[in-house]
Amino acid sequence: MIILHRLVRLVVVLLVVTFLSYALLNLLPGDPVTQILGMSATEESREQLRRELGLDQPLVVRYLDWLGGLLTGDFGESYITRMSVGAELAERLPVTLELLIAAEIVALGLAVPLGVAAARRAGRGLDQALTALSFALLSTPVFVLGVLLILIFAVTWNVLPATGWTSLSVDLGWNLTSVILPAVTLGCGQLAVYARLLRTDLIATLQEDYIVLARARGLSPRRIMWRHALRPSAISLITAIGLNMGALIGGTVIIETLFGLPGIGRLIVDSIFSRDYLTVQGGVVLISVGYVVVNFAVDVVYAAVDPRIRRA
Amino acid sequence: MRRWKTAAALLVAATVMAACSGQRPVENPQASTARGATGPTQGGRLVYGLSADGNGFNPITDQFAVQSYSMTTPIIEPLVSVDAGGDWKPYLAESLTPNETYDEWTIKVRSGISFSDGTALTGEIVKSNLEAQKASPLTAAALAPVTAIELADPMTVRVQLRQPWVAFPYQLSAQIGMIVPPSSLADPKAASLKPVGTGPFIFKEYVPDNRMVVTRNPGYWRKGLPYLDEIEFRILPDSQTRAQTLESGGIDAMGTNRDEDVTKFGALKDAYTVHRAEGMSVAEYVFLLNTAAAPLDDVRVRRALAHALDRDTIIKTLRGGLNEPADGPWSKDSEWYVDGGYPGYDLAKATALVQEVEAAKGPIRFETISTPDPNTMQLVELCQDMWRKAGIEVSIRQADQADLINRALTGDFRATVWTSFSAADPDGEYNALHQAFSRPLGEISLNPTRLKDKELSDALDAGRITPDEAARKEAYATVQRRLRDQMPILFIDHLNTGSVIAKSKVRGIGEHTLPDGEKGRPLTGSPIPYHPFAQVWVTER
Repeated sequence: MIILHRLVRLVVVLLVVTFLSYALLNLLPGDPVTQILGMSATEESREQLRRELGLDQPLVVRYLDWLGGLLTGDFGESYITRMSVGAELAERLPVTLELLIAAEIVALGLAVPLGVAAARRAGRGLDQALTALSFALLSTPVFVLGVLLILIFAVTWNVLPATGWTSLSVDLGWNLTSVILPAVTLGCGQLAVYARLLRTDLIATLQEDYIVLARARGLSPRRIMWRHALRPSAISLITAIGLNMGALIGGTVIIETLFGLPGIGRLIVDSIFSRDYLTVQGGVVLISVGYVVVNFAVDVVYAAVDPRIRRA
Repeated sequence: MRRWKTAAALLVAATVMAACSGQRPVENPQASTARGATGPTQGGRLVYGLSADGNGFNPITDQFAVQSYSMTTPIIEPLVSVDAGGDWKPYLAESLTPNETYDEWTIKVRSGISFSDGTALTGEIVKSNLEAQKASPLTAAALAPVTAIELADPMTVRVQLRQPWVAFPYQLSAQIGMIVPPSSLADPKAASLKPVGTGPFIFKEYVPDNRMVVTRNPGYWRKGLPYLDEIEFRILPDSQTRAQTLESGGIDAMGTNRDEDVTKFGALKDAYTVHRAEGMSVAEYVFLLNTAAAPLDDVRVRRALAHALDRDTIIKTLRGGLNEPADGPWSKDSEWYVDGGYPGYDLAKATALVQEVEAAKGPIRFETISTPDPNTMQLVELCQDMWRKAGIEVSIRQADQADLINRALTGDFRATVWTSFSAADPDGEYNALHQAFSRPLGEISLNPTRLKDKELSDALDAGRITPDEAARKEAYATVQRRLRDQMPILFIDHLNTGSVIAKSKVRGIGEHTLPDGEKGRPLTGSPIPYHPFAQVWVTER
């Protein structure tokens, strides 16, 4: 029943988001014909191409036409590259997906121990140092951080490639090396948010009566922290992971451009600039579905993490 | 369980470390064979950083920017090339011969050339290519003077023109003259993604927005070429990280137009070579002025704008002092350049002109378009400040490239930043400057300034039809004089920071010879130039 409810919501979200993005994109001045033919084509040539691409049709007709295709799994064909949009997205999805997952691993892998350490020593030197680090990471734009990391790890130490992408299917080792710097750059901003959230919730949880009771029963601080305090304190963190997915996808645009990664973020931005409406639409559908699915997964994880939610 | 996790972690770490210590994987690496200690070396692989991806590689259907030429010309070759002196020379063509009146050109195709798919190059294929270009909405306007394309014999094509056109062969040195096999003509979509040609390299792999790999064509018709076994073009859109990738050894060479790259790598002479665009290859950074709309329909306002601009200060402030101020469409080291007559920086003259106009028509206010990138915005804001000092109020509207081009074509602008004028021959600017291509506001105008100047247009016609070199030079001198008098374009600077920067182990960039032995034009195109790759090689160092 919950899944059905979510599916209905997903369809509504998709319809609203795709129509709005389609309409907004069409409101932008310029069209793909200028991008395809450039400066030197005549008015007649432009009109002919506009007809061929169906751009002379009203916006609603074009949208419904696209929607009809989508129902049969056809995302349409790019105006600019003339490749199937579905194929283009399928080619780029693994890059962005891997980048997002790696960034979350970096963020969570560092945020959890840092948040726990800060909560255990709240107000002391380590906590203050971590607070300062969090603010520094939050206030550093990703493109500055990216350039700095490239300077240190690629130019000075020469241990990681500065840019470029090797697919997982070609070489695992090179794939991992090419994702490290982009993932760290993208994950650092999230790391700061996650560590701060976890620290605050853990400090509150550690004041709870059941924790005092656990201490009185002689349980070790480590056991109390990892077995009894961390799980209920992770609710805000999990919520943030779901909500931040949108920001993270937005961040991939900059990261993919900076590091030369052939991902979906870069494809969508390039397509917006070239008025490649159908490619943008395909990307919007994919991101919308991804966002809804991630947040559905977050709801499921809530129940797994906190038995009180399960029982409610 | 813990042991399994540790082992997995170690495996991942070992894989990463192993990858960190080596080179990016190359499929089918081939052993290098030295041809001589001092001369070019056969073999090797070049990784070349480009600023953007191409929008497809079919010269008939896809608009080529410079990066498209970099990736496509190793595979697809043109009928004509340009030599170091700026003259056209046959390439796939053996000869191009005009009739006495220059309204018919006979193209004799070089024999013994095959496409990499095994098809022999013939006159029929050249004819089909030119017909496809003539029919393509992309290139039809450029070939408008062509009335008929005929096959004179199996290796000869005759092109009939409706008017004399002495510079016609230059058209065949770029996209229009690039010849593809019949299979590509039959399936243009496939040709967009997997180009096939007669060139020194064969298409191997293309991953959009990531890389294109081409490998040596063993059956290339120019014996002994190419030197390289493989080229990987890496798409790295961010100019700063592209330079960092060159520094870290991730790429061997790159195109750039950042003055800091030219300065920085130019100082490291032992490690890098910097090849800068020269002569007609250099584009000009300009403001296009809409001469069909007030207040810029008044030549006094256009001249006041020019007098108010201190181009030396702009170059010193924003170009690292590296560029030359521009006073016309062709740079000072071009054979077509003539000096004099441009309204230089003179704030008093600018103010006087403004006051004269304002006395009759009221305050001068207009909007200029700028792309939103910070470098362009800095320049436009600096100009805005200079114009304000002369009493002209200019507001700035940001528009992305698609919007900007659309506005320029339809006349929905007063002034806009622009980069242009890098054609090999002045005739390449014919459509953009001639009054015949000026249309009323709201209609598509290939002449975006919409200036209707008979003297200028007559000079462009003379340059197109007269074969006499001195007369052509005089015609284009008139073009420059009329542009400086009528000022439909505000010239800022020659963009001669357009460069190719390579590690010193990369040799032969811009040092190629053409099939008949002439030295070829070193670098072509703007804002980042391209060059042939057949005679590029890498040394051990």
